[in-house]
Amino acid sequence: MKVSINWLKELVDIKDIKEVIRLLPLRTIALREVTDNYFELDMKGYNRADLLSLRGVAREIAAITNSKIKYDADLPAPDYHLPEAVEIAQVEDYKFCPTYCLAKVEELKVSPSKPEVIKKLNDCGIRSINNLADVTNLMMLEFGQPMHAFDGDKVKGQISVRSAKKGEKLLTLDGKIRELNVEDLVIADESGPIGLAGVMGGKETEVTDSTKTILLEAAIFDPITTRKTAQRHHLPSEASKRFQHGLSKLNLLQALTQALWIYEEMGGKVTTLSLEDVKDFSDQEKVIMLTLEKVNSLMGIDISAKDVEKYLTILGFHLRGVGSNSWEVEVPSWRLDIDIEVDLIEEIARMYGYEKIPAKELESEVPEKIDQSLPDFLYNLKKSLADIGLTEVQTYSFFSTQTLQSLGFNESNREKALKVVNPISSETEYLRTFIWPNLIEVVAKNIRAGFKQSLPSGEGKNIAIFELGKIYQPGPKESYRLAIALMNDTDNPIEELLVILNEVRDLLRMQVTPGSMMKELETLFHPKRYANIEANQKVIGGLAEVHPRFLNQFGIDKRVAILEISIESIIESLHE
Amino acid sequence: MLELSLMEEKISQIKNQYSEEISKAQSLKELDEIFLKLFGKSGEITLLPKDFKDLSSDEKKIIGPLFNKLKAELEEAVGNRRQVVREESYSKLSEEKFDLNSKAEIKKRTGHLHPLTIFEKKIADLFGKLGFQQFEGPQIDTDLNNFELLNIPPHHPARDMWDTLYLANSGQGTGDRLLLRTHTSNSQIHIMKKYKPPIRMMIIGRCFRYEAVDARHEHTFDQFEIVLVGKKISMANLQYLSEYFLKAMLGEDIKARLSPGYYPFTEPSAHIFGTCVFCKGKGCNVCGKTGELELAGAGMIHPKVLENCGIDSKEYSGIAWGVGPARMAMLKYGIDDLRLFNSGDLKFLQGIKNEG
Repeated sequence: MKVSINWLKELVDIKDIKEVIRLLPLRTIALREVTDNYFELDMKGYNRADLLSLRGVAREIAAITNSKIKYDADLPAPDYHLPEAVEIAQVEDYKFCPTYCLAKVEELKVSPSKPEVIKKLNDCGIRSINNLADVTNLMMLEFGQPMHAFDGDKVKGQISVRSAKKGEKLLTLDGKIRELNVEDLVIADESGPIGLAGVMGGKETEVTDSTKTILLEAAIFDPITTRKTAQRHHLPSEASKRFQHGLSKLNLLQALTQALWIYEEMGGKVTTLSLEDVKDFSDQEKVIMLTLEKVNSLMGIDISAKDVEKYLTILGFHLRGVGSNSWEVEVPSWRLDIDIEVDLIEEIARMYGYEKIPAKELESEVPEKIDQSLPDFLYNLKKSLADIGLTEVQTYSFFSTQTLQSLGFNESNREKALKVVNPISSETEYLRTFIWPNLIEVVAKNIRAGFKQSLPSGEGKNIAIFELGKIYQPGPKESYRLAIALMNDTDNPIEELLVILNEVRDLLRMQVTPGSMMKELETLFHPKRYANIEANQKVIGGLAEVHPRFLNQFGIDKRVAILEISIESIIESLHE
Repeated sequence: MLELSLMEEKISQIKNQYSEEISKAQSLKELDEIFLKLFGKSGEITLLPKDFKDLSSDEKKIIGPLFNKLKAELEEAVGNRRQVVREESYSKLSEEKFDLNSKAEIKKRTGHLHPLTIFEKKIADLFGKLGFQQFEGPQIDTDLNNFELLNIPPHHPARDMWDTLYLANSGQGTGDRLLLRTHTSNSQIHIMKKYKPPIRMMIIGRCFRYEAVDARHEHTFDQFEIVLVGKKISMANLQYLSEYFLKAMLGEDIKARLSPGYYPFTEPSAHIFGTCVFCKGKGCNVCGKTGELELAGAGMIHPKVLENCGIDSKEYSGIAWGVGPARMAMLKYGIDDLRLFNSGDLKFLQGIKNEG
């Protein structure tokens, strides 16, 4: 949310903008950017719907800087005496659209907006379109209530809010034809959809230079329906963001009233207003029980009842004392994020100042002891291998496309690996079922980078690496494996690897036995140089020289030996 | 015209001579030598175009394609012969042996632990002293454990905070859909369902996000998280843990400061800032002149999350506190590229001093 500083100053008494900039991150929310014209609140994933409006931000700043808001917070509902109450809009299901207001404004004339309006919009990161359309964006920014203006002369007959029908299409404002889904909520006239509710309007009813009459929509749409539609059509918009966070009725009414005033100032005549019974416009009242004891036990300090009352009142909450040191707290309509007692405690904590909460040591509670042999084992194994002279690497949990191809993955055997349904690229599509091929890639990469570990004996091109990490198999099952790769500049690296393995034999509780090569591995490994690794008469892994043909696919022309061991059985035995 | 025919003759001569040499080569080494004689800095093919400079443009139009053909044919011939020589050498592999009783010597090398291993061990030891124990949580988990039970329902706007990699052929849209955990917080659920308060656990491990990779972003990264549940656990304890951690990891002169934040699974939530390690609070380019760096995220475990795990939120409260070990390591060692951790780059990995 980008907040225009000049505009903000119209809404709240700001003595020192530097102080506001200093306090906002301490009391409220982090700032992404600060310039002379605007500052941007870091709203990613944040739940404060009220901070998606300048009025909300002004109210927050008034509270944290102890200053006054300058706008009329009790702006009344519109008081129009229209000749006839005409039904111009119909809502099919109030579950998806709890509130829908439509006003017809006639005798308007399109022109560019005034420079001060254009600046307000620009400072908030929105482009000016024309005087009529800009009003809707001004209201969205000031009140957080999105609005949409249809060209009244292009809308045919009565407007309805309904679910899209199978096969319906809509040309949206961005010029794209959207195939609608039956779960999309649309605004339609007698000819079909003219807008994607809460997401984007239709091109055919867009306000243009010749527009004289508008139908101004102010509505509350269901957050989930709006979110799904925005995602389905890849249309994240400023408006849909606000619908997703939730809106309040009182605020809608105030925004609508202000918008109509502005249109009237431009010479427009409000001729029809489709508004539900104004009595229904009260928002659901939320009351939360709060006790001083809970405040102090959760914050870990002693705060006074007076301070609790002061902090909450300044934020717009109403407190009614119930007995000693407990309250019924009425939540203001704009704080849709406040539901339970701890939400109130966060409000108190931030007004008190998170940074002032002192450190308090943990009391000596004795938690249940759980087995720590696995992390100990993993670290000791790594440490032993490093002590022998190996370097630990960590590689991705995925198989690269090159690895998949070299391992012979194809349509017939792909189901052996777990697949990511929405990979970032084909490099993150399959989860690794072995670690050693990733180590071969590391060897190749280091050779390409010209890496040389010269040994004291003068030999170069030595790469001795290991990884201790997880592999993933259908089930799904994830399990720890140890893999080592050794390139020692000889034509027979497996014998040194064997000796290395024997160094950690006791830790791994294993032995090396001659084994027969599995058929499917024949093309990957040397025809003679391989062996099984066994523990408790069970094969838990193997060591082998990698077939030069396989290595050649990675551009390696030296001999490389590898081993891979499942350490699940060792881990199991640790628990015994 | 005389020039042209001479050239044509030369091309055909090179072709014949080298085709034969290539077909007779018996080793990759021989082929490498032939390749150099042709395509090296002063190789015959490399230098040949110099002889064309006196030809007319019409003549060049004739000789050009001939030259290109020669170049392509010889390159291909070397490549093909390499393949044949390789396959021949592969067939000899079965004559080689493997002595299972070998007493080969282990060459003297200097080994290195991965910087994350070193750091995570330090962190685990540090919290181990306060009675925290390591819990092994799954990297593949359900939407239920990774999101819903953490108070992040489907289609909640807060989901924008975690771009998620989902697994194919798992449940659709509902809680049983499988994903790669986006944070270690999924383990909060496993821990609190399995153990009764008081709880002091920690989780270290790999997490995944749908993220384009650059110097500051990774799709595969480690998180460290502690879960503390008990009676009267408070924000003051959270301040204590933050100070305890930052001072031990980055230095006694580092101060910890809590700041408001938002996580759906904690309330109140906090971002934890520490004195900038580079300028010690004076303000520099790294910290954006603020004198502080955001280093960790934490909060009081949300009552709904406690209740989802069968813990009475009236009786107990808790802290979840998390940090990225890679970020810590980057600050400590002055590493400027997050990608190095998963790169397998030995120059990087062997440049880190072992402190394990």
